[in-house]
Amino acid sequence: MLTVCIKAEHLKLKRSFIWIAFFLLPLIPALMGSQNYLNNLGVLSAEWYSLWTQESLFYSNFFFAPMIAIYCGYLWRVENFGHNRNALLTYPVPVRNIFLGKMAAAFSVSILTQVWMFFLFLVTGKAVGLTGLPPAPIFFWMLRGTLAALAITALQTLLAMVIRSFALPVGLSAVGSILGLVAVNSQKAFLYPYSLLILGMNANRDKDMVDSGILFFASSLFYLILFAFLGIWILKKSDVKA
Amino acid sequence: MTYAIETSGLTKSYQKTLCVNHIHLKVPFQSIYGFLGPNGAGKSTTMKMLLGLVKPTQGSVSILGKPLNSRNRLSILKSTGSLIESPSYYAHLTGRENLALVCMMKNVPESDIDRVLAIVRMEKQQNKKAGHYSLGMKQRLGLAAALIGQPDLLLLDEPTNGLDPAGIQEMRELICSLPEKYGITVMVSSHLLSEIQQMTTHTGIIHKGSLIFQGTMEELKKHSQRQLKLKTDNNPAALHLLESMGLTCQSQEGYLLLPETNDRNTAQLAAYLVENKVGLLRLEEKEKSLEEIFLSLTGRQVSL
Repeated sequence: MLTVCIKAEHLKLKRSFIWIAFFLLPLIPALMGSQNYLNNLGVLSAEWYSLWTQESLFYSNFFFAPMIAIYCGYLWRVENFGHNRNALLTYPVPVRNIFLGKMAAAFSVSILTQVWMFFLFLVTGKAVGLTGLPPAPIFFWMLRGTLAALAITALQTLLAMVIRSFALPVGLSAVGSILGLVAVNSQKAFLYPYSLLILGMNANRDKDMVDSGILFFASSLFYLILFAFLGIWILKKSDVKA
Repeated sequence: MTYAIETSGLTKSYQKTLCVNHIHLKVPFQSIYGFLGPNGAGKSTTMKMLLGLVKPTQGSVSILGKPLNSRNRLSILKSTGSLIESPSYYAHLTGRENLALVCMMKNVPESDIDRVLAIVRMEKQQNKKAGHYSLGMKQRLGLAAALIGQPDLLLLDEPTNGLDPAGIQEMRELICSLPEKYGITVMVSSHLLSEIQQMTTHTGIIHKGSLIFQGTMEELKKHSQRQLKLKTDNNPAALHLLESMGLTCQSQEGYLLLPETNDRNTAQLAAYLVENKVGLLRLEEKEKSLEEIFLSLTGRQVSL
């Protein structure tokens, strides 16, 4: 039943403007990051790791969360026109699948975003003259960031559902990311969902920030369940205002 | 007798305003039930409660013989089609893609798309983006979407809103054909009396959240007290004479209106006027229009 909802949400992404954001936005951190790398070759000597510090700085601090917010925002935005929420909630599917379907569809685009970003990292790495392939830990950080992205997807799906404006949840995610950058230097960074993206991808560091994985995974999982549960609960309880 | 839709004391209040006030709806199977009321009377809220979109403050709903609750919700929605407030569609998808989406969500094979497209006669426009459709086509797409999966019950909220006269006529014919051809029960809301009059077999009239009338079209017409309408060559004199006979009589637009009476009395009345040198020019029976019936039910003028 859930797969049906996910399939339907994917159909809604057809011909959507999110694909423009999907392709273009990651180019900015990739290009700015590699430019920074070339300008500071004197200090940045750890090759692939150094390039990663520069690209992930922009990508996970400023771009990834707003991009997820755009995907989630779009999937609710289409329901805000023409009283579509009425139809959406009169289909014979459980209410939780409506929420989870949107979340899963947005998450699958987030995974693609990670793949596209990793590809750009690879291409820019080759372009700046790095040899070989990126070391395995960077690939692992990317995967870890994807798990954090799942928690953020749940949060943004919830925000976009409750807030009818498209721009506001995207703006909140940008502010959230910047605050996440501040929080990441504190002891309690794991408690702040937007910091999880930065921690997970080990942004701007060449040494791993996540000493013990358990705290990171537990926190990501906790927020994923919390926001998804909250979203489904609100959708079930409240009257549909189309 | 069981009904396709039955509500008991259905109530919705927002803060302290009663939007829907203890409504007992009874919609017979295979009827076309017209839900009539002025804008803001509570039509949409009631229909949304029938679909579980709005949670009632009080009262219960039973659809197709099953009480509407979280356990029955999915099976009820499976056999229900609806178009609430305005047709739902995704503007960036084609008509066909929109219907494919409905098929997915209703777990119906996509072959059903061709069937509903034929019913609403939209085969030719199916590959155009829904956002580029005219309002009439969007309404037809909405109806097609509601018909996917051959529902037993159709809830249509103001389906002719914003259509041109030809579109209204077409939508009306489509709706009228549904019970007979497919055995569907249709509940259709409107703020237009004439529309309900032409389409429906049963009517419920809602005013300020309360159901002030419910019954067949014939029963509604019984509320119309007929009147005698007459025109003379000297209305003031006639008025005087009729009042001296003890009849309550009112003058309106050059005519005199009298409560209906039997043939004998009518003949006597006419003879009396002629005896007193008042020439009788017209004498006819006048039926109340539904507007006037509505007025007499609600006791006040409302714009319908």
